[in-house]
Amino acid sequence: MEALQLLGQGFATCFTPLNLSFIVIGVLIGQIIGALPGIGPAAGMALLLPLTYGVPPATAVMMLAGIMYGGMYGGTLTSVLVNVPGEAASVMTAVDGHKMARNGRAGAALSISAIGSFMAGVAAMIAVVFVTPPLAAFGLKFNAPEFFLLALLGITASASLGTSSPTKAFMAALLGLMIAMVGVDPIQGTQRLTFGQQSLLEGIDFLPVAIGIFGVAEVLASLERAQAVQPMRTRLRDMWLTAQEWSQSRLAIVRGGLVGFIVGVMPGAGPTIASMLAYVTERRFSRHPERFGHGAIDGVAAAESANNAASHGACVPMLALGIPGSASTAVLLAALILHGIRPGPGLMTEQSTLVWGLIASMFIGNAVLLILNLPLAPLFAALLRVRYAYLAPGILAISLVGAYANTLGFTNVWIALAFGIVGWFMIKLDFPRAPLVLALVLAPLLESSLRQSLLLSFGSLKIFVDRPLAAALLACVVLSLAFPLVSALRRAATLRNVG
Amino acid sequence: MSDVVPALLMLVLSAAIAFDTRSLSFWDDTTPGPAFLPVWLAAAGVVLFVLRLLEARRSPQAIAWPERAALVRIAVILGALAAVPLLSPVIGLVLALALFVTFLLLIVLRQPLWPSLATVAITAGLVYAIFVGWLGVPLPKGVFGV
Repeated sequence: MEALQLLGQGFATCFTPLNLSFIVIGVLIGQIIGALPGIGPAAGMALLLPLTYGVPPATAVMMLAGIMYGGMYGGTLTSVLVNVPGEAASVMTAVDGHKMARNGRAGAALSISAIGSFMAGVAAMIAVVFVTPPLAAFGLKFNAPEFFLLALLGITASASLGTSSPTKAFMAALLGLMIAMVGVDPIQGTQRLTFGQQSLLEGIDFLPVAIGIFGVAEVLASLERAQAVQPMRTRLRDMWLTAQEWSQSRLAIVRGGLVGFIVGVMPGAGPTIASMLAYVTERRFSRHPERFGHGAIDGVAAAESANNAASHGACVPMLALGIPGSASTAVLLAALILHGIRPGPGLMTEQSTLVWGLIASMFIGNAVLLILNLPLAPLFAALLRVRYAYLAPGILAISLVGAYANTLGFTNVWIALAFGIVGWFMIKLDFPRAPLVLALVLAPLLESSLRQSLLLSFGSLKIFVDRPLAAALLACVVLSLAFPLVSALRRAATLRNVG
Repeated sequence: MSDVVPALLMLVLSAAIAFDTRSLSFWDDTTPGPAFLPVWLAAAGVVLFVLRLLEARRSPQAIAWPERAALVRIAVILGALAAVPLLSPVIGLVLALALFVTFLLLIVLRQPLWPSLATVAITAGLVYAIFVGWLGVPLPKGVFGV
């Protein structure tokens, strides 16, 4: 019941003109960013993070979180009306959603997406309210060895889950860790990996890397060819669902939301994996699996409920333990650090107003998004007619100013541009970018807790198996490393049998 | 071939890390030194280099590189982006960005004049209003005082 009291205080924190307006601005920007092909919520959050320097930390994270889950709603529009996912987590929505649009049911696809996202989002937030405090209390028992293994698990899990090539994902994560080593050693203060460059003494900031890897790279990839988007039209009166459509979708929303929340809580998995898993699960549950891929409304409902539930579920490890579960929560965590707040299990007690304000803001944000996506969906659909060519230069300009504003120096602008090129190559070579960003955020915790652990144990690695909690986490790390290996062996065996 | 290049880059990065940390201590009495984690990361880089080579050999990946015209467009955009920090100390950041957006819309993306100029004005106005007006960020001013 204490959680409900704190949630009430969280709502009180939200109901100030400043916070309410930033929640609305956040979800509105998220909705637009989600709808724009070529720029995802993580990119939008990284680009707009510098805009939060002038507001209190609680207001800043409320707005950034709004972009995160607002993007899940917005991505539906382009998936359904253009057959181009606005962001990766809407890929499965496009499969059936666009078929529905071609069958004259675009409004129904958008309606069920909005309703499913809202219901699953609110249910996920209720779960966050009750799951996060005990997990954070449990996290207070953690010491250096557990924190090291938790950070390591965050990296290995993100690299081994949901990627076509775990080797590539591990290479991306390793690159993130290598970048984080540049600067001054955190314990002894020795210069490290600066290659004699004074400008690298303070290390490479997270923000220009994220702006480059996500923002600049995604715009470059989108500008390779002129995009002529021809969205299908939808009207308000088309948004009503028939009784049959609702009856087909309601359990899909429940199952999708459940799958999404569980996947979202797992470190490394995220909304994209959640929506794919929910879609596959729904097809198995369906009495008519043959409809999937040909305009099944339950497929749309499951995928959309799952991606929104996952984006909320990813807040559980981020708030309770300081471990981001996805690229978006990594940016959210970086925002907390930039605003001078130390993430970790102590966050729930030390920054109670901020945490509960953030949680309450997500309930409010979901309600705002429901309004934006039901009666106002045709208006947002009209926004898709704005040519991307007019938006891209503005996004690049804001990327450069955002990188500059971080330290008031051009070094960060050059770093953002360099990582823009790195990110573009990663897109072309099919390297996942989320593990790089997650590793960059987790590296300081990983290194300091590893060295503290070995200091405590006089250099003995037994400290990672002697403590029961550490041993359990170590087993999870080993499992996450073994998972891609076992999958590869099974694939090879299947191919041999087929051959 | 191109899917082997990232593996080679990983090897080069690992070698650079091993080279730069050679003068730093790996272990001090009972505690790891500044080179401890970088050296382990370099070793992991070598392992991943080998794994990626094996993976690329077993199942070579067809990479969809953009056409020549698209590559030229990306190179020109990158050049224009690089001109912004170079020009900013001379003409100011807001003006450099306005020039960048104008160049991109009119020359690279070949958009109509008036909507492009409107976009330039909106972009420059937004950057000035948000970063200078609201956040109070002292953006570099050039010879024109903007």
